Amino acid sequence: MGTTASQLGKDLLSEYQVRTSNAHKRFTELLSKEDKALPNPRIPMQSILTLPELKSNPFRKRICHVFSTSDMKDGSLTFEDFLDLLSAFSDSATLEIKSHYAFRIFDFDDDGTLDVGDLEKLVNCLTGETDDTRLTPDEMRQLINNVSSILEESDIDKDGTVNLSEFQHVISRSPDFVR
Amino acid sequence: QVLKERKLYDEDKDDERLDSNDPEEMFQNIQYQKEIIANIRTRPWPMRRKLKVLKQAREIVLKYEGRLTRTRGYQAAGADLLKKLSRLLYNIVVLFIPWEMRIKKIESHFGSGVASYFIFLRWLFGINIVLTIMTGAFIVLPELLAGAPFGTTRSKTIPKEHLASAQDLDTIWSLGGYLQYSVLFYGYYGRVRKIGSAGYRLPLAYFLVGMAVFAYSFIILLRKMAKNSRLSLASASDENFTFCWRVFCAWDYLIGNPEAAESKGAAIVNNIREAIVEEQEKKKDTSLAVLISLRILANILVLLSLAGSIYIIYFVVDRSQKLEQEKPELTLWEKNEVVSVVVSLITMIAPSAFELVAQLEMYHPRTSLRFQLGRVLVLYLGNLYSLIIALLDKVNSMSSAVRNWSDSSFLATISQPEEESLSTLVSDVSEHRNSTIATIAMVLDVSNSTKSSTVTISNQTALFEKNTRSQQDQCWETYVGQEMLKLSIIDMIFTVASILLIDFIRGLVVRYLSDCCCWDLESKFPEYGEFKIAENVLHLIYNQGMIWMGAFFSPCLPAFNVLKLIGLMYLRSWAVLTCNVPHQQVFRASRSNNFYLAMLLFMLFLCMLPTIFAIVRYRPSQHCGPFSGQEKIYDIISETITSDFPLWFSKVMSYVTSPVVVLPALLLLFMLIYYLQAIARSLKFTNNQLRMQLQTERTEDKKKVFQMASDQQESDITSHESSIHTPSPRRNGSVTNFQSPVHRGNSIRTITQSASRADLNRGSVAGSSRSPTVSILHKHRLQHISNRFYVESMSTDSESMLHQPSSKWELTFKFYIHSDPLYRKTIRPMHAAEAAGIITAQSYMGRRAHATRYVILNEHDARKKLLRSATRIPRHYCVEEPGEILELYPRNIKRYAPRTPHPHRAHPSQGSFGQAHRPRSLSDLHQPARFYIGERVESQLSMAKDAPSARGRYEMDWEDLEAHSQTNARGAEPLLSPARTRNMEPQVKPKTRRKQLEPSLTESDSASLASSSDQQNSSTDQYIQVIHNKERYLKSDTRQGKLTKKKSKASFDLNVSGSNDLVCSNV
Repeated sequence: MGTTASQLGKDLLSEYQVRTSNAHKRFTELLSKEDKALPNPRIPMQSILTLPELKSNPFRKRICHVFSTSDMKDGSLTFEDFLDLLSAFSDSATLEIKSHYAFRIFDFDDDGTLDVGDLEKLVNCLTGETDDTRLTPDEMRQLINNVSSILEESDIDKDGTVNLSEFQHVISRSPDFVR
Repeated sequence: QVLKERKLYDEDKDDERLDSNDPEEMFQNIQYQKEIIANIRTRPWPMRRKLKVLKQAREIVLKYEGRLTRTRGYQAAGADLLKKLSRLLYNIVVLFIPWEMRIKKIESHFGSGVASYFIFLRWLFGINIVLTIMTGAFIVLPELLAGAPFGTTRSKTIPKEHLASAQDLDTIWSLGGYLQYSVLFYGYYGRVRKIGSAGYRLPLAYFLVGMAVFAYSFIILLRKMAKNSRLSLASASDENFTFCWRVFCAWDYLIGNPEAAESKGAAIVNNIREAIVEEQEKKKDTSLAVLISLRILANILVLLSLAGSIYIIYFVVDRSQKLEQEKPELTLWEKNEVVSVVVSLITMIAPSAFELVAQLEMYHPRTSLRFQLGRVLVLYLGNLYSLIIALLDKVNSMSSAVRNWSDSSFLATISQPEEESLSTLVSDVSEHRNSTIATIAMVLDVSNSTKSSTVTISNQTALFEKNTRSQQDQCWETYVGQEMLKLSIIDMIFTVASILLIDFIRGLVVRYLSDCCCWDLESKFPEYGEFKIAENVLHLIYNQGMIWMGAFFSPCLPAFNVLKLIGLMYLRSWAVLTCNVPHQQVFRASRSNNFYLAMLLFMLFLCMLPTIFAIVRYRPSQHCGPFSGQEKIYDIISETITSDFPLWFSKVMSYVTSPVVVLPALLLLFMLIYYLQAIARSLKFTNNQLRMQLQTERTEDKKKVFQMASDQQESDITSHESSIHTPSPRRNGSVTNFQSPVHRGNSIRTITQSASRADLNRGSVAGSSRSPTVSILHKHRLQHISNRFYVESMSTDSESMLHQPSSKWELTFKFYIHSDPLYRKTIRPMHAAEAAGIITAQSYMGRRAHATRYVILNEHDARKKLLRSATRIPRHYCVEEPGEILELYPRNIKRYAPRTPHPHRAHPSQGSFGQAHRPRSLSDLHQPARFYIGERVESQLSMAKDAPSARGRYEMDWEDLEAHSQTNARGAEPLLSPARTRNMEPQVKPKTRRKQLEPSLTESDSASLASSSDQQNSSTDQYIQVIHNKERYLKSDTRQGKLTKKKSKASFDLNVSGSNDLVCSNV
């Protein structure tokens, strides 16, 4: 009975315009027993992080937060959030969607721009937290806000931060942005 | 965020359009909704939003489509069904994509770089399948089915002396014996013009398919490249964001394996460090003599090894040829394998040698990788070319040998006069070289029967035999085909061996012996084998080049290659998953990268050249193959035309191929190319122009924003100053008022901030404690955003407004403009642009910071809601201009609290403040106050009913104000009549521009000096009201509470009656 409660109506599923049966299966796998009884269950962030796709991603927590619509800011996902996550990372997602979500993932303080703090956190995420891999403050400064640095390249309006359109501009030029 | 706004706008628009009955409009609406449906997937909204919009759009489409025509409804249903079916079909097709899962798995372990190799391999596999089908269906099958069976003609028979050894392993291994006389090679195919009952023209088909193989490869390659370059913007722009790419695009989101993630992380760190160091070194610009000499040395070494490899190949081919001539019996090694083994060895060893040499050069890894690729490509090409040249050389010498032999045999026979009959016979025969076997047999017979065979004669016959055999074997096409197939096989063996030995065994050793070794095997010397993407891809390209080169001479080569690629796919993927680590130097070639394809195209072209050359230059063998007896291979075309087509066709063809037609055609072609190039150039030019235009517009825009920002800051300062230094005269010297300036500045900022953050911290008035500087930063940014959006949208209305000189208020007013895209979960449409105006100096008291939002609602809705919320509406708004419906959300207040609309700046301030303090307790919390501005009688009436008393009071103010007519402009509002907006422009600060014509909230406040007194009044009213509210809501909003406290103190005992009114309205 628990499972049936969490099943979405067939008509509802068909409205998602995608093949959701697989996604829904995976979603319910992540749910705990008692959650399944709820009408609109949420997967806690902890169990999302165990997905093999996200297991070793340095941005996994950010990803959860970005896609979560929870009021608690705990990174838990409903099925719709989960679908959003899957569709944003799917092959068929457009560059716009991808860059949009990438921007939000990189925007650590959720203020709508990438400022120096965000960039530092981003670089730290990439390099890992151990001492030998981590960049020294000097290197960090060089990387982020020296002459010829990230901000120099991408911050078109020179306001000290990178906003979404600047980000998309930069990203769309990259040959590597496939995700 | 922008898109969200758009969607909100869409929603509003839907509402607006609901009423229209005009069929044309309806149709447009349907189109519009369909567009929404089609594009919904490409928008980054949460699923719920998407669903909602989708549902709405669908409903509308259904509804109106039904109204328009009934058949459309059925059409739509049919289309729906079709779409479902096609999706199902697509899903099924996906299941059949070969190795999809395997590649995905690799992708998840090693990232997209490694996977791109396998995708490339799969693509090559597809091409080879098509090639195989072409050759198989049009050449091999007809020959097998309808051609003369094995053993019937001489070219299909194994010579007697070879028959014994035809099944030996070494013969088979060297592709001799039965294999040589099979459909594998050119020589087997019959020369009969038409075969079978249907009269299949096999020789013609052979030639055409041979050409079609190249044509198809070219077309498919070019198409793929064109598609890729269309996909990738990268090639179009020369902008280079080294650092950004390195950071933003560094992570490969496909990686799922922890080990791979670790190594990827290390690679990223290295990469970033390198970039930093490189940047530092670039500035120094040091050029070391040692380094330069080292690089020169390295290049010399590479050139030497290239030349050496080419020479070795040539030498080996030459030697094998000589050996064949000198020694009748060859060892297995000597016979055939030398050439291909040497070639394969070179292709295996040389790249590693190049890599060693490259370490001398000390280039940046990426540069050195590029060098390495170039060198390896040159090596492969050199190998293939030297091989094919040596082979063709051999072909040359073969044909000349045949000629020599005929002369010598003639002389030899003549030199034996005692057997005249024989000699004449032989000489006869030798002149007709075609029937040599018969002659030999005769010679043998004769010599046997006469039993007078002397030593010389027997020698002679032996020579004859040998020469005859070699002459019959003189099927150089078969020979070339054999060599290519052999090369391909050996290459495969070497690849397999290298995977097993170098990767697998090494992996095993490293993993299991690392414990019992004195150094760390895993990280020091042997390590695990790296998967070198670039070199492996190059190897694939080389392999494909061999196929193209040999396909004409060995029709089954593509089929063999298909098998080889399948094997390679499985072996490689297995090896990669078990015993490789990703390449350290990240060479990420995404799917849209044309690099591999360009190399492949280059290879195809270069491989086609020798084949074409051989076809054109050499005479086909006389005793074997479909073209035997012809002077040139391509004669088959002209022959077919003359014999099988009607006369007029051959005439036409002869005209067409005559210089009279060919030369002009060539000329035309050149002109066309020139023309297209010119167009491309001009397009490029336009492209650059557009880009420059964009940039200048952006910078201008930026300047404007900066100017505004600086104005703002200035006015900010002045406001502070003024508030500090000039006690407002009307305040009766209440002290509290003057304490507030700082607070005010703060509160204003925080307001803007709260607005900007509102999207994320939904419903919470957050950030009130933020430092002013931060919020100013925000402001700038926001402005910039809005500005840019505005530019993009190019909505003329708002543009004109933006350009309005604002000098007038620079003196008096301070404007906070900020627009920020808001996210809001509630159903209420939100407005992006918000503005708060503050009046400095004389009137600043009246102006509190507001970030007010205006929403234009559907009239019906507004009307309905208006009735409900009418109590809260300050009366004077009723007098507003015609035709406008405003809904305001001052942002500084609780989000859900209904906001008073402020058509006029001076008044709104009161209203918004009054309401600010009764946020949540209202019954219709989510119900924003609806405002009718306009001459709708009913609305006025209803409002009037609600608050008649207050109205009287305010109307006076209003009239005063109207004289100065400060109003808000909502330039972007589609509903507003332009005339109305025009009126307000002069004093209006427009700050709305939404790309999507969003319900934009432009709020402009402007207050003239003259109106300041009115404002004063109103502001006091407000304060009074605030007091009442304060008692109740102080706790709910401390910030507001502070403000109100101060103000209330100042203005407590002013208009009591006014306060009463307001309180009433509150209730």
